Amino acid sequence: MAITYKTFNNADLAVTRTLLHEVIPITGSIVSGTYVEGTTNETNIKNYSHGMFQSIYDYPYLSSSANHIMDITVGYPADSAMSNSSPLAQQMQPKKINIYNQMSQLLVGFDHTGAIRPFDKDGDLTGGNKIKEAFFITFARLLVKDEIQKNTFRMSFATGGTAGNSRFLNSMTVGDYGADSSYKVNSPAGEYGILYTSSVTPNEESGVGLLYYQAGVAVLTASVFTSSAANDFGSSFGSSATSADTRNINTVLSGTAISASADGFRTRLINVEFNNTTELNSTIYFCRANHNEFNYSSNPTYLTGSKIRVKEVSKDQPLAYITTVGLYSADKELLAVAKVSEPLKKTPQNELTLRVRLDY
Amino acid sequence: MPNCLYKFETDDVFHNRIKTHPECEFYIYDSVVYYKNRSLQSGSFTPSVPNVKPGFVNLYELNVDRLSGDTGLIYPYLTKTSNVESFKTVSISHFHTQFDYGTKVTGTYPLTASIDREYFAASATRKHVDALKNVFDYYLPMSKHYKFSSSLGEKSSQALNLISVPSIFYGSSIKKGSVDLRYYVTGTLVGQLKDENRNGELIQVAPYGSTNSGSVAGTVLYNEGFLCLTGAWEINDRQLKYTGGDSVDSGRWLYFGVGANDGITGSSGETASTQTRASASFSMAFSGTHYVPVLTMMAHAQKGKLNHSNNPTYIDYESSASFLPLTGTYVYLERDRTIKNIVSASYTEPTASFKKITYISKIGIYDEYRNLIGVATVATPVKKEEEIDYTFKLKLDI
Repeated sequence: MAITYKTFNNADLAVTRTLLHEVIPITGSIVSGTYVEGTTNETNIKNYSHGMFQSIYDYPYLSSSANHIMDITVGYPADSAMSNSSPLAQQMQPKKINIYNQMSQLLVGFDHTGAIRPFDKDGDLTGGNKIKEAFFITFARLLVKDEIQKNTFRMSFATGGTAGNSRFLNSMTVGDYGADSSYKVNSPAGEYGILYTSSVTPNEESGVGLLYYQAGVAVLTASVFTSSAANDFGSSFGSSATSADTRNINTVLSGTAISASADGFRTRLINVEFNNTTELNSTIYFCRANHNEFNYSSNPTYLTGSKIRVKEVSKDQPLAYITTVGLYSADKELLAVAKVSEPLKKTPQNELTLRVRLDY
Repeated sequence: MPNCLYKFETDDVFHNRIKTHPECEFYIYDSVVYYKNRSLQSGSFTPSVPNVKPGFVNLYELNVDRLSGDTGLIYPYLTKTSNVESFKTVSISHFHTQFDYGTKVTGTYPLTASIDREYFAASATRKHVDALKNVFDYYLPMSKHYKFSSSLGEKSSQALNLISVPSIFYGSSIKKGSVDLRYYVTGTLVGQLKDENRNGELIQVAPYGSTNSGSVAGTVLYNEGFLCLTGAWEINDRQLKYTGGDSVDSGRWLYFGVGANDGITGSSGETASTQTRASASFSMAFSGTHYVPVLTMMAHAQKGKLNHSNNPTYIDYESSASFLPLTGTYVYLERDRTIKNIVSASYTEPTASFKKITYISKIGIYDEYRNLIGVATVATPVKKEEEIDYTFKLKLDI
């Protein structure tokens, strides 16, 4: 318990912020093909009975070492061509519509009439082209941390692939090129950037998706898959492929379960990489011991035989050794303690400023 | 949003903590440390799935089964700014001379931890022991063997074996009375130490009746996670290369844990197989002390309360022809609705007398701004009648 307190003034406090980043590589070998049990059971992929999304882990998820990487799902609005009853057979349509609506409510919001806004290709919500059929890739908070760093997101995938042939045809890389200066802020979920296929002269038509930095969600238009020459979208390739694997993106999106679309996308994923950001906020307390302060101690060991132990003769100046700095609340409750690595000698001849940093 | 909210009163909310004692065991054999007898788990990309050596733990378990040239590794970085922030692994001079402003200062993952042994021969310099001088003396009320300098030993100069245990393995402190050290030579137990008096003294308790049985061979710094072994007597006469060189010595507590991340490598390649350190193995077991703060909340469902539900199934839709309101030029009338009678009766007709019954299936916790911040779901819905009251006990580990 201290017996002398010194109150901080404004000049004694400083607030700083440090941005810590992590480089997150996610290769295609992690999300498909590595942890296969038997012939088809991928033990790092979790499908749920509700079937609304698929979870990807970096190791078989029954192991305690496994980390959740991301979830994949698909959706389209009620006015999408995928919602028409003909000619495509449909499966899980209400769920796909609900997913699109839920995602757009959270990430795009509502217009002045209360209607849900659809995802917009260039972020200008007043008009323009909309993203209707979309893949949603929601990255785990473990990887995203506070947010994805702008202009670091790159995702490579194959837009084609034929069931009886190669897995990776017509590869494409999308990224939030230039987003560090051109990101958008008109989303209720925070900032977002537009995914382009290259850094060259992006325009409205060249946007293929959106990336929400704080939410950690990538929205990719399904139209990138339909333009490919070889556009089978099944999850199996080569000799193990079945007739179900020769279906194109439209058929898979509308006529199969969400997990089948997720499988199709996942098995075409070549690489995802981004940098995350963690904000480290610090308050620095400058604890100043002026020349005439803190030269005595209330420590019982400070005295021996009613005399100050560290004074040789009575005319010597008082001195003390500072070992600890206590930070107290206004009610004089001890909140934090800072220790110095070795005791600091304090006499009327010197002044000390101890810089105490508190990270949170 | 529920239409009935009750405020927790002073006696309804408790803050307490659960004290747990997680067990921890290390086995050291031929310069390899095994943690909880876990074997090496081979992955698809790495020979060790957690991406750490045996005996280590991976903080946050990042980079599980990842390889630098294959799947890539997650790593942290900072951009050098005038804040002069850097990683602890980057020295100050390196930071100032090797990095320009705006460049990346990188670190590595995973962050790992394991036990660590340091052996100090007599009169050898020992910064890590000297730094613990005040800590040793702080424990003096428990045992005189803690005294840094006494007739029982001069820790600043005597031969000493210091084993460091990171706090990730024990939490707040090592549990008193749980430390158990076993020294094996060719598989036979030649010595065992326990802090059976719970005062930090590591007393030789086995083999029964052995010379020096009952002697204090070291002390434990429970809060700081150090084991300091000073027992220099011979506990086994087999001559082994305990110090890493070619010199041989008998088994002593000073050599306990040799090879535990102390720079002494394994015995492969040794020619004199009768003197190999691989003949000796060591077990170290203890329990930690870990506190789990718990928030306990008592949610009361009082008599005569919570007997109505907004659930659509609470209404008997079959008894009314239409629920549409009666509307006209001068009238708008909502029709009466009947609550479904779900009281159990022995006969279909007549039914039992009506009672208001609800089934409580969930309890929502709201903050002062009425934001839903938590939901507790009961295993099976609880039947709530007007004359019954319940108290639900909600526990939350924080």
